[in-house]
Amino acid sequence: MSEYNVINSRAPRLDAPGKATGRAKYVDDMSLPGMLYGAILQSPLAHARILNIDTSRARSLPGVKAVVTAKEAGLVKYGVSPARYDETLYCHEKVRYVGDELAAVAAVDLETAMDALSLIQVDYEELPAVFTVEQAMAEGAPLLHDDYPRNISAEVHQEFGDVEAGFKQSDLIKTTTFVNKRQDAAFLEPHGCLAEFDLFGQLTLHTSTQVPHYVMRTVAMVLGIPVGQVRVVKPYVGGGFGPKCEATPLEMSACLLAKVTGKPVKMNYSREQVFLHSRARHQFIHTITTGVKKDGTLMALTNECHLEGGAYTSFGIATVYYSGSLLGGPYKLPNMKYDGYRVFTNRPACGAQRGHGGVAARAAWEQQLDMIAVDLGLDPVELRLRNIMSTGDVTCNVLDMSSLGMKECVEAVRDGSDWNAKRGKMTKGKGVGIACGFFVSGAGYPIYRSETFHSTVVIKLSEDGGTAQLLTGSAEIGQGSDTTMAMIAAEALGIKLSDVRVTSGDTDLAVDLGAYSSRQTLMTGHATKEAAEDVKRQVIEVLAQELSIPPVDIDFKNGLVVFKNGNVDFSKVRTSYIQEHRGWTDPPSGDLTFKEAARMAFLAKGTIVGTGKYKPGRLGGKYKGAAVGTSPAYGCSAQVVEVTVDMETGKVIIDRMTDAHDCGLAVNITSVEGQMEGSLSMGMGEALFEEVKFDGKGKILNANLGEYKIPTALDMPNVKTIIVESNEPNGPFGAKEVGEGAIMPTIPAILNAVYDATGVWIHELPLTPERVYRAIQQAKK
Amino acid sequence: MLLPKFDYHEPATLGEACQVMGDLGQKTKALAGGTDLIVNMKKKILSPACLVYLGRIKEMKKIDSSNGLFKIGAGLTAAEVAEMEEIKNNYSALSRGASCLGSPLIRNLATIAGNLVSARPAADFPPPLMAYGARVVLKSSSGERVVSLDDFFKGPGQTLIAPEEILTEIVLDKLRPFSGAGYIKLGTRQTLEISLVNVAAFVSLDGPDGVIKTARIVLGAVGPVPLRAPSGEKALIGEKPSEALLAKAGEAAAFDSKPIDDYRGSAEYRRAMVDVLTRRALNEAINAARSNLN
Repeated sequence: MSEYNVINSRAPRLDAPGKATGRAKYVDDMSLPGMLYGAILQSPLAHARILNIDTSRARSLPGVKAVVTAKEAGLVKYGVSPARYDETLYCHEKVRYVGDELAAVAAVDLETAMDALSLIQVDYEELPAVFTVEQAMAEGAPLLHDDYPRNISAEVHQEFGDVEAGFKQSDLIKTTTFVNKRQDAAFLEPHGCLAEFDLFGQLTLHTSTQVPHYVMRTVAMVLGIPVGQVRVVKPYVGGGFGPKCEATPLEMSACLLAKVTGKPVKMNYSREQVFLHSRARHQFIHTITTGVKKDGTLMALTNECHLEGGAYTSFGIATVYYSGSLLGGPYKLPNMKYDGYRVFTNRPACGAQRGHGGVAARAAWEQQLDMIAVDLGLDPVELRLRNIMSTGDVTCNVLDMSSLGMKECVEAVRDGSDWNAKRGKMTKGKGVGIACGFFVSGAGYPIYRSETFHSTVVIKLSEDGGTAQLLTGSAEIGQGSDTTMAMIAAEALGIKLSDVRVTSGDTDLAVDLGAYSSRQTLMTGHATKEAAEDVKRQVIEVLAQELSIPPVDIDFKNGLVVFKNGNVDFSKVRTSYIQEHRGWTDPPSGDLTFKEAARMAFLAKGTIVGTGKYKPGRLGGKYKGAAVGTSPAYGCSAQVVEVTVDMETGKVIIDRMTDAHDCGLAVNITSVEGQMEGSLSMGMGEALFEEVKFDGKGKILNANLGEYKIPTALDMPNVKTIIVESNEPNGPFGAKEVGEGAIMPTIPAILNAVYDATGVWIHELPLTPERVYRAIQQAKK
Repeated sequence: MLLPKFDYHEPATLGEACQVMGDLGQKTKALAGGTDLIVNMKKKILSPACLVYLGRIKEMKKIDSSNGLFKIGAGLTAAEVAEMEEIKNNYSALSRGASCLGSPLIRNLATIAGNLVSARPAADFPPPLMAYGARVVLKSSSGERVVSLDDFFKGPGQTLIAPEEILTEIVLDKLRPFSGAGYIKLGTRQTLEISLVNVAAFVSLDGPDGVIKTARIVLGAVGPVPLRAPSGEKALIGEKPSEALLAKAGEAAAFDSKPIDDYRGSAEYRRAMVDVLTRRALNEAINAARSNLN
C-alpha cells in the first residue's frame, strides 16, 4: 500500500471527459465577433535575394483588411536563444528556405486571404543553395548568414578527463558512423492561434503552444509591446513534442495583423506548413569511437557530430550541446571528448523534438556498445551492467545522478522480456535487442539567461472552503500535467482530488516556462506542492486558534481534519459553520472536515491564497556550455525489443517491447505508462519509417501524413511497461521525468534486435525494407 | 486547404447519371468516394467545373451471380468488397486487395470504380482484378461497352474511359475448380500504405496435383500501369508447381517489370521484390487452387 492518499495511484485524467465528448475547446474551435482570417506568404525558392515585393494588387482585393511585410513588421531579430537571434518576422533581404515567410494577409475569410496571397508579386534573384552538411561546409559555399563562416551556426568542443590516455589503456577500440534523418513531430493538431487587442491596447493571444511564457516574451519583443500587456492563453493542445516550444511566425503575424486591423485575427498552419515551419528533429551525423578493456570496462569515448540544421538556429545551440552532453551517462565513463557542429542549410529550421539532441547520439552509442559486446563475447546486458551508474554517481561532464534506478531497469527488462532464453537463440529472422538511456527532468536553466523562477503556482480556496483552485502557467498538451498538478496539490493539502480545480496555460495566472525538457512534474510540481503547503499552513493556523490547540497537532487527510493528539472538541467550529451555511446543502457530520476549517479561515482572513515557486539551485560544472544537460534530476530507462525481419523483403515487424523506466515516484501511474508507450511509438517511427524527404530544389516531397509515415495502431505492438521507482531527493514527493527519457533506448534497441535477427549492423535510419534488404544482400557478398 | 467552387449533381439512377454526364461532357468528373478526387481538387491538381455524385445509384452497389458470371457493382466501397462473404469465399485475392487499401476510414468511402479510374500504378484493386481476368462495363447515354481491364489502363491517371462514360460494373468469370489467386502487397508499414510493389497471381490447375493450365501474374507499382508478366506466366504453363518453378517464374516476372527510381524506393529494389512477391503470390494462388473444389 502506498503511504500516499492521492498520488502514486491511477487517477482518471481531468481532461478526459472533455476530450471524450468533444467538448474540449482547441484553438480552431474558437471564434470572436468580427474575426478576420490570416494567411502567410512563403518563399517558393530555397535561396534567393528579394528584389521587390509588390502588395498593391493584394491590398486592393475586396475583403482584404491588411497586408504586412517586413516594412510594416520591422526588423526586430528574434529566435530561441538570445545568443542566436537570427530571424525576423518576415524576410527582407533574402529568403533562406522553401517556406521562409515574406508577408501576411488578413481578410474577411480564408478564401479571400489565400486569393490575396496569390496577388502578391515578389521578384527574386535566385542564389545557389546548400542542402547538406558537406555542401554547406565546403570551401567557397554560399553563406546563409554572413556572420557565420562555413555556415556553422554553433559549435562545441569539450573534453573531460584524458581521452588519449583512456584509449591507450583500452584493449578494444571501435569506431562507427551513424546517421538518422530529419523528422517531423507529426502532432495531431497543426499550430493555430487567435489574437485580439482589447480597447486598452492589451493583447491576448490564444495559441496551440507548449510554452505560453516564451511566446509572450517573444511576441512582446518583436511587436514592441511591454511584456505585461501581452497575455498568452493556451487552450487544449493536440500534441507538441518539441516543435511547439517557440514563438512562431504564425503567432506573431496574427498579433501584428490584429494590431493593424483592430480586429481579432485567426490563423492556422496547414499540415504542409507544419512541415515547412519544422523546428523538429535535426539530422545528426555521429562518428563515435569507444575504447574498452577486455572485461568491457569503458575507458574513453570521442564523439564528433554534424547537425544539419536548416536556415535558422532555433533551439540549435542547445541541440548541439545535448548531442554531446547526454552521453555522459548512464555508464561510468572516465574520459569523453565531444566536437559538435550545427550547420545552416537552405531547408526548414530544425529545433527540439522529444529527447532533443540526445536521441541519435544515444542510438549510435548503444549500437556500438552492442558491437563491442559481440566482439568481446559478452552478453549485451552484462556489458551494460558492468559499467552501470547508480544513485550518487556524477558523470565526467558533471551531471549529478541524485537518484538512478538504471541497474534495476536493466534487470527488469532482462527478466520481463525473457532475454536470457531469447538472445542469440531465436530462429533466423527473429531477434531481441536491448538499450538504455537517461534524460533530464527539466533543463537546469531557462532558455534566456535569468534568475527567474522556473515556475510559480497560486492556489486559492473557494469561499465555502470546498474547492482549491490551482492556477498555473504550465502547459497541459495532452501529457496529463493538469491531472498531475491536481494530484500533487490534493496530496500536499490533504484533500480529495475531486476538490481541486485546475486552470493552466495562461500567462496571467503565474509564471511557468512550459512543457519542454520534461520539466513540469518536477518543477511545476515543486511550486504546486509549496503553494498547497502554504494554503494548508494558513488554514491550520486559523483552526488552531479557534480550537486553542497548537498548529502542529493538526493535519488534513482526504478532506478531513486529523488531530494528532487525540480527540478535540470542535463543536464550536461546526456550529458556527452550520450557522454560516444556513440553507446550504451540506450539513457536515462526523469528523471535522477541511471544508469547515477552510471556511473558518476565510472568515478570519479573507480569501485564502497560497503561493509556491521553484527554481533549481546552481547545477553542473564550470566549463563552457556546462549548463546544457544539467537538471535537478535524471530519469532513466531500459528497453528490450523483439523483432521479426523478413529476410527476403527486409521488412521489420516489432513483435514485443518491454520498457522499464525510473520516474522517481509515479504521481499518476496511468499517465507514466502512457508517456512510456508514447515515447516508444515515436522512437519506433524514427527507427523504421520517418524521414522528411526533399527534391533537388529544397522542396519537401512528403509534407503530409500519408507519405510521412508514423506508426499506425497496427505497427505498434503491446508494450510491457515496468515502472521502477527511486526516491528522487530533488523531486516533489520524489518524482522526476518520464516524458522524453523513455524514447532514448527505443531506436538502438530496435537496431540491436535487427542485428540479432539478421547478423547485420545497420548504421543509417530509417530501417525501411529496402535499407534492411540491401544490408542483408551486402552481407551475403 | 480549400476546395475550389464547382457545380454539383446527385442523380438517383444510372440513366439520369449518364444523361448528366453526357450533357456536361469534358468539364465534369464523376464523384464516388472522393478519396482521390477531392484531395486532388484541394491541391488544385484537378478543377472540374462540375461533379456528378454516383453514391445514390443503387444499381452500382449490387453483386450478381448468374450465367456463369460474377458481376460486382463498381459503386461498392472497398470496405464492402472486403467483407462480402461471396467474394471472401470465391475471390479471396480480391477480398485481400480490398482490405489492404488505405485505412478503415478510406475503405469506408473509396469505391472500386474510383480506384480503377484513378489509375494509380500502385493501386490495390487492379492487380487482383486483372489476375481474375476482369472486364469493366463503361456506360454512357449512347450505350455501353465492355473492356478487358488489361486494356483499360493507359498511364498514370490515364484510362480509356471517355469523359461522359461511367464505370458501372466489374465482370468476372465464375472460378472453375482447381483455380485460385493470391495477392501480396509490400509497404513500409502495416497499413495506410502506398505499395512499394504489389503482385497478384492466378493459376488454374488441371487437377489437385496437376499441371498449370492457365496463369496470370499482375505487377503493380513497377510500371506506368499495372503490368501483366508474360514471361513469368509462360514459364508456368504446362508445368507442375514446385519451388524451383515458382523461383523461375519470379525471376521471369522481375525481368518483365519496368520499375523506376523514385523517393519511395529504387528500381533495383522493386525489381528484386517482384521476384519475391511473385513467388509468394503464386504460392498463395496454388494453395487456393488446390483447395477450390467447387
